[in-house]
Amino acid sequence: MGEDNPIRKALLYAVLVLAGALTLVPLVWLVACSLKNSEDFFAHVFFPPLDRFTLDNFRELFRQMPFLRLMMNSLFVAGTTVMVQLFFSSLGGFALARYEFRGKRVIMIVMLATMMIPAQVMLAPLYELITRMRLADTYLGLVVPGAVSVFGMYLFRQSMLQLPDELLQAGRIDGCSEFGLYWRIAIPVSRPMIGAFCLIAFMGTWNSFLWPQIILQSKELFTLPIALNQLVGLQRQDYGVLMAGTLLSILPVAGLFLVLQKEFLSGLTAGAVKG
Amino acid sequence: MATGNPQRGETFWDRLQDLFPFGLAPFIIVCLTALSGVYLLVQNVLLPQDARRADLSMWTFARQHYVAYEQARPAFEKRHGVKLDLQNVHGEAVTNRLRAAYWAGLDLPDVVEVEISVAGSFFRGPEDGILFTDLTDFLTRPDPADPRRRPLMDRIVKTRLSPYTHRGRIYGLPHDVHPVMLAYRADLFRELGIDPNQLQTWDDFVREGRRVTLREQRYLLNLDKSGSSCVEILLFQRTEPNSPAGYFDADGTLIMDNDKAVDLLTWYVPLLVGPDRIAASPGMFGQAFAQATQDGYTMCSFCPDWKTWGFQHDIPQLSGKMKLMPLPAWKPGGRRTSTWGGTMLGITRGCRDRKLAWKLAEHMYMDANDLGDRFRELNILPPFKDAWSNPAFHERRPYWSGQRLGTEYIRLAEQVPPQFGSPFLQLAKSKMGEVLASCISAYRPGRTDELRTFVRRRLKEAADEIRRQMKRNPF
Amino acid sequence: MSKTAGSLFAFQQRHAPYLFVAPFIVLFCTFGLYPLVKSVVLSFYITSGPKSQVFVGLENFLFLLADPDFGKACLNTAVFAACSVFLQLPLSLGLALLLNRKGLRGRNLFRLCFFSPRLVGMVFVGVLFSLVFAMRFGLLNVALHALFGTSLELDWLGEARYVMPALVLTSLWMYVGFNMIYFLAALQNVDETLYEAATVDGANAWQQFWHVTLPGIKPVAVFVVVLSTIGSFQLFELPYLMLQNSRGPDGAGLTVVMYLYENGFVTGDLGYASAIGWTLALGVLIMAIGQMYLGRTWKKEV
Repeated sequence: MGEDNPIRKALLYAVLVLAGALTLVPLVWLVACSLKNSEDFFAHVFFPPLDRFTLDNFRELFRQMPFLRLMMNSLFVAGTTVMVQLFFSSLGGFALARYEFRGKRVIMIVMLATMMIPAQVMLAPLYELITRMRLADTYLGLVVPGAVSVFGMYLFRQSMLQLPDELLQAGRIDGCSEFGLYWRIAIPVSRPMIGAFCLIAFMGTWNSFLWPQIILQSKELFTLPIALNQLVGLQRQDYGVLMAGTLLSILPVAGLFLVLQKEFLSGLTAGAVKG
Repeated sequence: MATGNPQRGETFWDRLQDLFPFGLAPFIIVCLTALSGVYLLVQNVLLPQDARRADLSMWTFARQHYVAYEQARPAFEKRHGVKLDLQNVHGEAVTNRLRAAYWAGLDLPDVVEVEISVAGSFFRGPEDGILFTDLTDFLTRPDPADPRRRPLMDRIVKTRLSPYTHRGRIYGLPHDVHPVMLAYRADLFRELGIDPNQLQTWDDFVREGRRVTLREQRYLLNLDKSGSSCVEILLFQRTEPNSPAGYFDADGTLIMDNDKAVDLLTWYVPLLVGPDRIAASPGMFGQAFAQATQDGYTMCSFCPDWKTWGFQHDIPQLSGKMKLMPLPAWKPGGRRTSTWGGTMLGITRGCRDRKLAWKLAEHMYMDANDLGDRFRELNILPPFKDAWSNPAFHERRPYWSGQRLGTEYIRLAEQVPPQFGSPFLQLAKSKMGEVLASCISAYRPGRTDELRTFVRRRLKEAADEIRRQMKRNPF
Repeated sequence: MSKTAGSLFAFQQRHAPYLFVAPFIVLFCTFGLYPLVKSVVLSFYITSGPKSQVFVGLENFLFLLADPDFGKACLNTAVFAACSVFLQLPLSLGLALLLNRKGLRGRNLFRLCFFSPRLVGMVFVGVLFSLVFAMRFGLLNVALHALFGTSLELDWLGEARYVMPALVLTSLWMYVGFNMIYFLAALQNVDETLYEAATVDGANAWQQFWHVTLPGIKPVAVFVVVLSTIGSFQLFELPYLMLQNSRGPDGAGLTVVMYLYENGFVTGDLGYASAIGWTLALGVLIMAIGQMYLGRTWKKEV
């Protein structure tokens, strides 16, 4: 259907390449800035001459904050949250999709309604609740409220509605328990959606700032976004260190995505297209 | 359909998928979580636990203070036979953490350093909810060790107590005096024929500024244009006991829209905008500031004692070229300094042994020998006049062209104007910054009367907003 | 199977769905519903931290309506949301249309490239772009200076009138590629035969777009619009980090959620914060429902 006019094709590619460049340029700049020392910041826009590449920013970063610890903290919090979200949401979504039971309508309506309410409305009372439960400044207080994923529940329900009934019936005939149906049949079939959900949830928790900022107080428990924000506020702004920290904070998620991109993109769009 | 019985030809991956059917992405995440979990567990196990068994805990927010106190710690621990837990909590986080600790029942430190602009916010709650202990008695009682000595209150620069006073009671021990001078490029002044001794008033200064300013290349003064820091400095400089200037007066009434403030802003804005400008805003800190000073883009900047360290550290290449001069006065013979920033030491309500905490305060803040050494390192002038005779305060500094840093600041110390605190001080500061920014946008060069009207209106709007908030506070 | 095993089996078969949703329900009620309801209650109090509170009835809301700072926050947030919908989405759609061309080589590479900003969390984007917009050495000023000779002194984050454009530009960078993915998937699902039929009918490219493409992607488009709106009303991390934990010059970066955070967790008035939160929630709800009604393809699958 497309015109094979070479000029149009060239124009098309030109626009796309330009857009692509605009997209990547800040990221390239990020890498470049983390490798420059402070004098070169004003002297060179992107990369300094090869002999002036420096790892000092990273050294200073590790000197100013326990970066490995912070990364492990973020990893632990994100991973735990995703695992809990995954398990509870998929289980619940399975139930909502494949069973009829009393109260199902109520649950669905309430869920749908709350999906549209921005989470910030709950911040204040949630904080009060967590502090009253004496869970302030703990990972339990951080992760457990985040383990509720209405979005995930909805996603899995949509996905599990697509399961062919025969598969489940065959399982029942084989003597599978209901949980076994979930574990052995529904889950393996939903893998693309699970992959997408995992990555979205992981990314969301890894990058989350507001709730951890409110709940966590002890330095040892901080996640990467909080620590990096404190670097920003320092009066002595060390731009190179800031960029080095940002770069290192982005890498894990980027890496995860690169490894799993096919699953991610397909699952993501599947969810959207089905509406 | 796998039913758990191993079948012929089943690989490791198949067994794995039986066990964990969720797929590759979740599996990787589980592995990462396990890895980090193990790491954290090991860290927690290996971390020394005795931090919790300390007799006294102290928080500070400035890294340099922390380093200084760490050095003083062993002597204190030895003398009193106790264990001290000293922590460096990052700047703004101190306030958040203190509040959170107080509200959520987490561990409060016994002794904590708090910055001047946030100190007032701890006076917001109900009277019995104030986080800090009343220190007035400690300050006014005679010294138990030496009854002939005057009480501490008389040996301190008194104006430094005002920001930490609430309804007549003093809740914080001041850490510093922070007189403000102008740091200037002595070499450029020589080149351009500017004589700092002729810059006795701001009028003189502005006149010289007009002479030497070159658009886009060289300005006489570095001024903040989006925040209130420089406006404050100039405003405090103008305060008189019966005609206050600043955010609040001694009774806690908001005065940020009074005539002095209007005059100041009307004077300030044209310095930054328009054909008669003499100032630029490359930034007050960090690399931008260093670059601008080094380039000679801005030749003077406001310099309290604590900022001198930043110069020495960030722009070492200007050593021997910088000098300090007192602020030009508003009228001949007027005050030649102002103040910027401050820290207090407070003893929290969670403290069980107040006397010991006070001894800690004395040790960290008032030990004369330590103070001398500390001044050499950080250039910060303490408010305890007894210490000023220490020769460390009067040494010549090569960076500052051989000036005696301490002597210069000490000379101005008694002139330092008082600042008055309030739970709404932070709000007032941020509002002032907003007013400044909008005045700068609204200014049309040459229309000074219009500017004055605009400034008055805008200041009143901002002040009224704050008054609404103040009225709303039921505590 | 023995009798007990049999009845156990029957038990779990009957009660399975309840057991399956139970953990979610419990968590949801404790950490979702309860705070939601409690925030309504809290909004009628003025508090100083979780321990001391004073009942004031509707005063919080009355104060809110007359509060110029809240008004400024709403304005900023609304402007940002409008730009998100009316600037961002057409760009995403446009990009998706370009990428959807037949015979385009390297589509996956482009897709990956455009998606990459989304991987950078909003927090880190805020930090990165606080430097991109910096004076004198920031990427944008240097580039503009090199290309168009504009001043290096453009203070994007220091002058009130430039702050919102800076925020919008950043959000464009972050989200155009991401939303494009959705549109691309939707475009690829539009029935080819419809296009052929339209060509036979003599429709030109624009008419085809209007009458075939747009209706074809409508469900996804509505989904993306609603998501974008809800997301942009919750704007907080980006301006907070870019403006270095402040509201920006003259409050130009103040958003509703930032105002909520300041009042609730810096000043400590959780009651007022709850009032702000509910006003935001109501506003978002109304907007979202309005949009979906306009879309008119929302099916309640209950």
